Amino acid sequence: MITPSTWEIVSLLLDVAHITFIILLASAVLGLLLGAVLTMINVKNIPVLKQITVVISSFTRSVPIIIQLFIVYYALPPLLGNFGINVTSMSATVAAILALTLYHGGYLTEVLRAAYKAVEKGQHEAADSLGYTPTKKFFRIILPQTVPVALPGWGNALIHLIHDTSLVFALGVADIMGRAELIAASSFGMNQVQVFLIVAAIYIAVTFLSDGMVRLFEKKTQKFKLDSGLKAKRVA
Amino acid sequence: MLAIQNLKVSFGDKEVLKGVDLQVNKGDVVTFIGPSGTGKTTILKCVNYLVEPDEGHMQLADISVDFKKIHKKEILQLRRNTAMVFQQFNLFKNKTVVENVMDAQIAVQKKSKKEAYERSIDLLEKVGLLEKKDEYPSRLSGGQQQRVSIARALAVEPDVVLFDEPTSSLDPELVAEVLKVIERVAQTGVTILLVTHEMDFARKVSNKIVFMEKGHIVEQGSPEEIFEQSQNERTRQFLKHYYPEAIELMAVHS
Ligand SMILES: Nc1ncnc2c1ncn2[C@@H]1O[C@H](COP(=O)(O)OP(=O)(O)O)[C@@H](O)[C@H]1O
Ligand SMILES: [Mg+2]
Repeated sequence: MITPSTWEIVSLLLDVAHITFIILLASAVLGLLLGAVLTMINVKNIPVLKQITVVISSFTRSVPIIIQLFIVYYALPPLLGNFGINVTSMSATVAAILALTLYHGGYLTEVLRAAYKAVEKGQHEAADSLGYTPTKKFFRIILPQTVPVALPGWGNALIHLIHDTSLVFALGVADIMGRAELIAASSFGMNQVQVFLIVAAIYIAVTFLSDGMVRLFEKKTQKFKLDSGLKAKRVA
Repeated sequence: MLAIQNLKVSFGDKEVLKGVDLQVNKGDVVTFIGPSGTGKTTILKCVNYLVEPDEGHMQLADISVDFKKIHKKEILQLRRNTAMVFQQFNLFKNKTVVENVMDAQIAVQKKSKKEAYERSIDLLEKVGLLEKKDEYPSRLSGGQQQRVSIARALAVEPDVVLFDEPTSSLDPELVAEVLKVIERVAQTGVTILLVTHEMDFARKVSNKIVFMEKGHIVEQGSPEEIFEQSQNERTRQFLKHYYPEAIELMAVHS
């Protein structure tokens, strides 16, 4: 058999890149939503629900992601089956998205909560004292100041997420890593260094893009980050 | 104008206000004095429900509430008819000076941007900060921030303005500029509740002084009655420490 050339490998890998990207994008967006909801429950101190957020957050922080993937894919369907919920037809891709969403959302809860707390109580009181509704207060005063504080942590969380997408092939998802394994195996490992260097290059490119996006947001929201006179001068 | 009956507040099992009654007329400048930790801030924060009282009744203009069963709508009403100036200024850090003064007019009072802007410019001129209108709060001195926060409070045309130690976190050289602005506000006839340790100022601008200790109102009266003629032992003890001039005045009177 003929071993494929570098460009052939690249093209074979890029053929399945969309799977990786879909998983990445879906779990990034859903994870952010989940993180926001969990944070809201947490800071509003809603009883019972708050305990659940603490459990989710400490579970996702302490269990290795590969095990979380296995739990969602193999353990969740029979578990939910006990409650009459039938998810036995859940595909590996959906399971991967679900597991990564939980993981990313749990991680982001810590980031978002810290950012929310960074806006001091006094500003809450000022808005309350003027009769702002909670929604008006949140969107006009709190959120604009929370975003710049959360951005670096969010950027880190995204990088973790990007890296962790490389594990979903363990569930049998035919993503970039899955295809890379196949290519390497078909040449009995002859070109595996080459294949994985190419995979590394693809991941470097994606991480680079993600960093660039976060940095762009940071630039756009910097003017809200005016907790010290020094920073203010930089903007003006 | 403002009447409070049997106001009780506790934090955990600590009773902070133990049944306070207060009567304020329109245009009054009422100043609360007393040792720290006696509940002066707490009274002010009950008026706009930043603190949840255990019980008590309050009438503010045409709003009447029973603190035991207050509704969300009533809380908003109280807050929309009052404004507060905080010890730590508490300006919105994501907004410029003029935006700070405009924001509640737009977000709460639903005024047009133009209308809010014009009123804000007018107020900033009155507090002497027109040239800072496009700065962010972090670039202002404490005194300037506090003057902006006074403009922000006045912008919503409150029935009552609550000043909680407005000069206590200022450098000494910045106190005067803020007191001057507060004095001018007092002269416009707006009703004011003020907590301060600036006794000279309290004596000058107030028409009523309330001396508090340990969650009780010990004595209240005109500045002359409190600072010059008080017969109350506890009031005199307090003044001896915080306003020795008063004791001299009392010596003159007796
Ligand atoms: N949010 C709070 N939680 C617990 N205790 C509080 C809180 N706010 C005030 N206190 C306590 O209530 C008492 C009265 O406080 P405060 O009204 O701020 O006094 P003052 O303004 O007269 O100095 C103090 O002992 C203070 O420690
Ligand atoms: Mg106080």
